[in-house]
Amino acid sequence: MSKLLVVDDEVEICDFLKAFFEEREFDVRTAHNGPEALQMIQAELPQVVLLDIHMPGMDGMNVLRQIKKDFPRTKVIMVTAIETREKIEEAMRLGADNYITKPLSLEYLEKDVQDKIELLTGNR
Amino acid sequence: MSFYFKKRKVVARKILVGAALFLTGAVSFYLFSRLPARFFPSPWLSQPLFTVFLMTALCLVVYKPLDSFCSQFLKNYFFKKKSFRHITLMNLTEELALILDLNELANLVVNTFGEVMQLKSVALVVPSRVRGDFEIASAFGWNVSDYRRVRLPQDSPLLQMVRENGTHVIVRDRVVRMLAWQEANKLTHDFESLRCRWVIPLFVKKELTGLIAFSAQVPDAVFDESDFHFFREFAAPVATYIHNALSVQELRLANSELQDIQSQLIQSTKIKAIEQLATGIAHEIHNPLTIISGKAQVLLLKKDRAHMNDQVEEVLKTIVKQTKRAADITRKLLMFSQGSGAPKESLRLEQILEDTIALVSYQTSLDGIEITKSLRGTIPALYGNVHELREVFLNLILNAVQSIGSQGKIHIDMNYHARDEIIDIQISDTGQGIEAEHIDKLFNPFFTTRHDAVGLGLFVTKQIVHRYGGSIRAESRKGAGSLFIVRFPYLEASKPISSAEEKVSLTLFPET
Repeated sequence: MSKLLVVDDEVEICDFLKAFFEEREFDVRTAHNGPEALQMIQAELPQVVLLDIHMPGMDGMNVLRQIKKDFPRTKVIMVTAIETREKIEEAMRLGADNYITKPLSLEYLEKDVQDKIELLTGNR
Repeated sequence: MSFYFKKRKVVARKILVGAALFLTGAVSFYLFSRLPARFFPSPWLSQPLFTVFLMTALCLVVYKPLDSFCSQFLKNYFFKKKSFRHITLMNLTEELALILDLNELANLVVNTFGEVMQLKSVALVVPSRVRGDFEIASAFGWNVSDYRRVRLPQDSPLLQMVRENGTHVIVRDRVVRMLAWQEANKLTHDFESLRCRWVIPLFVKKELTGLIAFSAQVPDAVFDESDFHFFREFAAPVATYIHNALSVQELRLANSELQDIQSQLIQSTKIKAIEQLATGIAHEIHNPLTIISGKAQVLLLKKDRAHMNDQVEEVLKTIVKQTKRAADITRKLLMFSQGSGAPKESLRLEQILEDTIALVSYQTSLDGIEITKSLRGTIPALYGNVHELREVFLNLILNAVQSIGSQGKIHIDMNYHARDEIIDIQISDTGQGIEAEHIDKLFNPFFTTRHDAVGLGLFVTKQIVHRYGGSIRAESRKGAGSLFIVRFPYLEASKPISSAEEKVSLTLFPET
């Protein structure tokens, strides 16, 4: 079973993403801030992280930097309301594996997550 | 016959010179036929042929001085006319005192001076504050396009000579004769480029503020010391007025620069405020939209479709579609406000136009305004800043929308003239039009006819268009709508769109 971590400060967003991916037989964990997310990754080692950029306290960019440093095999898909082109480029430079904007298209997101997991299992 | 009446002065001079020469000839013939024979009694010295030879030689030597003497004499005889000229020019200097515009001043000086002195050409040369050299401000007897090209560097031989000579009038024939051929050649070149034989320097204290360079209609015309004295008298006040006009011009330039900077500042603060607002709104609105759309999608994409019927499915699809639409609006709003200092890139004008129309389409559909567009030919990609070009379209379209109020049409026509390499954009509306007296002021900063506007939109638009080397103008009649014509010269993109950028823009807007 593939493990997925959803990081977003909006509880409702975490909830529907959890419901959606659980129906598709993912093991879904949620976190609502940066430090919680990092702890969860250490404990659960998810294959894919859906990471919101705009969060109070430690923001998504810093979480991304930390994940890529400590768990380079973890795939990270950045999720955010809207950002400038510079911010997107920065995220890509930091090693983000994709970037999608809210409101989310779940079909697209599912396909993208599947792609990332195939990439991981293919490499294994 | 009429020639002799028209050129009375020339005829009189010829008669006078003729009479004087005849007299010289007669006296010298008499003397030469008598004197040598008395002192050197030789048979061939008293030959009439030899006497004629001596007489001719003498006449040839004295002809020039005699001619100029007669000319001077006649000038004094025609003194009345000369004083009339002087009075006209001195009256002119009084009038000039009131003119502060350099062009107007220069036009009046060269035309009056040229006509009153019956000259072939007059050029008023002034220092150019922008380039640091000297240029012709206005000229009499020249084509405009010809004199615009003439430039005199600070270290040109003519200007050096003028600085050394002070206020003295410089006569080309005289100074060229005094110099070695190499220097004379260089100096002649300066005289040729100004098409002049005389140069009156204009000094204010020790500062050279200009030159009046002129040539006469008759090639052998001469001016005497009294003329030169008068020229200097005329030059002194003219120099002061030109000095003042140059200062005023500089002040105006500084003032308009200040206005530009001020308006840019206001514009950028405005943009910054919108940017902050838009970013805040985007985050605050996109999260609830994500939840609404997300929950609807979870239901729509449920594997177990037992509870689903057609009506519910239809409603859920509408929810997803409409939340996306709402998100698109904030996204566009943000795109307009973001990154005003963005780098230049290769842009498709039709795409920018499309985006701009999409942004205003909600407002216009409420007001009953129909926007149509037509594209003719393939519009090449323009190298520029997307935000600046969006601003141009947005300002012009909003301007049209405001002019219409409600119920009307806006038509945008985009066209590429391949031969002239010009992209031509025409935006016409069926609005209330512009009053004739306002057309000229339309693009001025802070000009507005509305109470709720700052009056910067069209000014900023003009500045952006000019930055791209383009032009903008308006045609309108009160009550008959307006037409704005923008022309961009086609500038080839120095770098094509890179694949990395394409990738980013694709991931930004995933197809649903």
